[in-house]
Amino acid sequence: MDRRDFLRAGAGVFALPLAATAANAATSDYRALVAVMLNGGNDGMNTVVPLDARFSQYQAVRGALALTRAADADRALGPIVTLGGGAWGLHPRLEALAPFYDDGSLAFLSNVGPLARPTTLADYLAWRNLNDADKLPEALFSHSDQQKLWQNGVTRTDTSSVGATGWGGRSADRIATGLYSFAGNARFGVGSTHNALNLPGPGTNLSAALGTWQPAATWAPTRKLSDGLMTMFEAPNADPLFTTLARLRANSLDAIQRLNDIVLATPTSANASYAAIDSAFRTSRRTTASGTATAYDSSLGKQLYQVAKMIASHAAVGGTRHIYFVQLGGFDTHGGQPAQHSALLSQVGNGLAAFATAMRTLGLHDAVTSFTLSDFGRTLKPNSSSGTDHAWGNQQLMIGGAVRGATGYGSYPELTLGGPDDAGTNAGNRQGRWIPTTSVDQYGATLLRWLGLSEADLDAVFPNLARFAARDLGFMKA
Amino acid sequence: MQRISGARGRVTTGGWRLGASLALALALAACGGGGGGNATPAASTSGAATVAAGADAPTTITDAARLAQQASFGPTDALIAEIQTAGALKWTARQMTIAASTYPAAGTDAIDRWTDKNASWCEGNTEAGSTARLYCWRDNYTATPVVWQFYRQALGGGDQLRQRVAFALSQWLVASDVEVYGSYGLRGWQQMFRDRAFGNYRDLLRDVMLSPVMGEFLNNVNNSKTDPNENFARELLQLFSIGTCELNHDGSLKGGNCVATYDNATVREYAYALTGWTYPAGGASGWCPTGKCDLWKNPRYLAGAMVAVPAQHDQTVRTLLSGVSLPASRTPDQALEKVLDSIMAHGNTAPFVARRLIQHLVTGNPSAAYVADVATAFETGRHAGIGAGTRGDLAATVAAVLLHAEARDASHITDRGYGRLREPAQLWTASMRALDAVSDGAWWGWSYGDEMGQAVFSAPSVFSYYAPDYKPPGSDVTAPAFGIENENTTLNRLALFQFLNVFTGTPLMVANTSIADSFGTTVSRARFTGAASDPAALVDRFDLLLTSRQLTTRQKQAIVDAVSAISVATHGADWQAARVRAAGYLAMSSPQYSIVR
Repeated sequence: MDRRDFLRAGAGVFALPLAATAANAATSDYRALVAVMLNGGNDGMNTVVPLDARFSQYQAVRGALALTRAADADRALGPIVTLGGGAWGLHPRLEALAPFYDDGSLAFLSNVGPLARPTTLADYLAWRNLNDADKLPEALFSHSDQQKLWQNGVTRTDTSSVGATGWGGRSADRIATGLYSFAGNARFGVGSTHNALNLPGPGTNLSAALGTWQPAATWAPTRKLSDGLMTMFEAPNADPLFTTLARLRANSLDAIQRLNDIVLATPTSANASYAAIDSAFRTSRRTTASGTATAYDSSLGKQLYQVAKMIASHAAVGGTRHIYFVQLGGFDTHGGQPAQHSALLSQVGNGLAAFATAMRTLGLHDAVTSFTLSDFGRTLKPNSSSGTDHAWGNQQLMIGGAVRGATGYGSYPELTLGGPDDAGTNAGNRQGRWIPTTSVDQYGATLLRWLGLSEADLDAVFPNLARFAARDLGFMKA
Repeated sequence: MQRISGARGRVTTGGWRLGASLALALALAACGGGGGGNATPAASTSGAATVAAGADAPTTITDAARLAQQASFGPTDALIAEIQTAGALKWTARQMTIAASTYPAAGTDAIDRWTDKNASWCEGNTEAGSTARLYCWRDNYTATPVVWQFYRQALGGGDQLRQRVAFALSQWLVASDVEVYGSYGLRGWQQMFRDRAFGNYRDLLRDVMLSPVMGEFLNNVNNSKTDPNENFARELLQLFSIGTCELNHDGSLKGGNCVATYDNATVREYAYALTGWTYPAGGASGWCPTGKCDLWKNPRYLAGAMVAVPAQHDQTVRTLLSGVSLPASRTPDQALEKVLDSIMAHGNTAPFVARRLIQHLVTGNPSAAYVADVATAFETGRHAGIGAGTRGDLAATVAAVLLHAEARDASHITDRGYGRLREPAQLWTASMRALDAVSDGAWWGWSYGDEMGQAVFSAPSVFSYYAPDYKPPGSDVTAPAFGIENENTTLNRLALFQFLNVFTGTPLMVANTSIADSFGTTVSRARFTGAASDPAALVDRFDLLLTSRQLTTRQKQAIVDAVSAISVATHGADWQAARVRAAGYLAMSSPQYSIVR
């Protein structure tokens, strides 16, 4: 018996009702956010490019790493996908998203990142050695810290009550929200009283792990073994390590009972409820000039597939407000960026296109909004390894029927090395790291407001929000 | 002290070692012991041999069991007895004198001498459709062949503590096969940790900095002097030595809040300081017919130390940390030593290393005093007679970790947040060792570790599997391994116990026909069946091995009840084995097996 057999064996003890997987007609009161974390620092400068007079400026600094209008066989840097009116272009591997921009359900946000307060270059130079998280975010340019700040949504240290949580979790602390992660533990889903439930990829039979759980068994050996297992599910004392483990075990039992069949289904299960999802995720989309892939082929695609099924079955899952968290890693392109970045953006473009297509078919396009986050942007000026280094402000994408798409939001940085937006401190240090002009707080507040949080809720979730002029960036419909 | 690894780095005969005896002779000739060259234990652990030859100082059986949990890949009755007889100090010292297990050769370096531009090495060296072709990538480019040996040697190797320490070091000095492809190189990278586990941290860092595997992983190989990328320089400081915030000697934040240890400008200074290194000689590439690529770069080669190219090294004054600066005119080797000077002199390095070793061996949530005492051992280089007396001595540091009251005194078991979640790799090894397993290591390493979030030698990034400061949601204690424990992985943990004990077959895993020397995995319950007729005694056997007798009365009773329900009437002739399986399953499922205290 190999490992896969034993994960699927399950001793046939669970037969959850298939009704759990029945798709539901769009519940008018249902809304879901899907957070797509791009781990490593996605190069926003090559995700969305300005095609007006700034394009030549961009090309001049970006050099060999610049996107081009000319095609290359790998579609790693060209051809740029021109959007709508021709003022902006997308990386070639994001071409599957272009139709959503043109139909008004994709937008982008420029130069957004963690800020404690609005910050000019003069501010940055004055504050950068103060070690005051109330002025400047801590540990800029450090992956782990910036991932935390993007998901935390406030520039506070872990010792504060809000600093140790994520804005997805704090949303669930304020209004009833189902929080689910298909990307493992992440700060985003940590709340004070609510935490994300972590679920696995398609084809996983959660119940197989607990074939010994037979609370109604009448044969003593089976029954006593099951009872013993339940004793082991208790925390032996109140130590946080034990209570944490016990909580995870209890949650997993709950997940088995409520979500097993939803999680388990794959395209080959041919579950009628998921036909539209299966179709969208098994549609081949172009990657290189001659290659194709389906969204289901990819890691991010599989996570989005799981999210799509949960959303389709949201009545069985329970709750009218859901937040999902998925992730893709590998964006830390210090070297060899063209090949690596393009492969990753294929997953993003094809995955989100498949997902949004499925939502549209299910009549849920207006009810579901997906958005990207990432540690930081990357330096406009490349290094000598065909890559880029850690920066700060970045471009993000938002997609869904409720997005006021076909345009960009925020303030695109001035592409001048050492210019007014560049967080450089001396001649050796000006590679184009843009000081954000929009904060994560504002981004998150705009999204959570759409989800249903009140203004008072938003100030609780984002305590620094009042420091910024615009509480609502305007990219969501009501 | 002359830099010993120069003996390795400058030799032009290529390859990794001159030959063990010649390298050792050079090492001993150039520096009177203590952390260098071909790192055999005798050269690098002065003091341990003396302590190991001292008198026995027997300890209690539960203390022995706890030390076995902290210092091996899982207790066995024999190991517990050995520790109980010798006592913690002598056993620890003896462990440091045992020669390092050696990873056998993995893959071939011929992959980096392949010059055909139209076909890959696998295409050119294996038959289409053959098993060799199907597994060519696995066997020659991934860490998987090394991982099999990791698990196999974790089960059977005598140098348990060295292997534990090596595994710990490899989890913050990370290079992973998710981005570096070449089994022969990844093998050398992992062997490095075993060889340096009881040597000096400076020498280990030097090996890390000169490793072509690391050079490739964090983009420092061929990093040129004009616009170097910042990747290695940044993570060298953040993840390998000092971290992002100034620390007190006890690991707490200086001033109570984070005061940044460096800024981006300093990272760039280090990046320039570390320029001018290319791959070792030994490789060949079809794109570099003259033998050099782009005029100065050696073709890719992952064994040995990177080679300095002075003309490609920055020649600008650079300011490093700890008051160290670089003159404009210098060689790459000189700059590298200054980088090491700045790191070893920094006040953060001792508590940084101390905390991580404590977390990987004993508890994720050490007291400030524990960190301080271990940091002192790192700085003085000596603890309880173990260590060479040089700042950065890992033997002294490890001894301090294991011999400290916070590790040995059972009263600390109930400190809030004390202990560590048994990480997935150790979950398997401890379960296997408890069940007298004979295994080729091929089952777990191949696929299952990934299901629990820890694919050995395949960390998702340089940030490893989990962060050293991870606190479970809503908790005020640090428990790093919980970073990869969630509902999903916790079910997989239980699935493993179920598979090992309940839905189990013989053998547990058959031989994998795609692996040359595979023989599968079998376990034995013979050790326990004698106790099967006495449920309480049977439970106690597992209680000792798996939890150092930390099961509660309620838990033990629940297991006794489950065991007692099994008899010849219910299970026929197999009833004793069935009782052992039930007891093993429930004991393994206990929280105390997963949370090691």
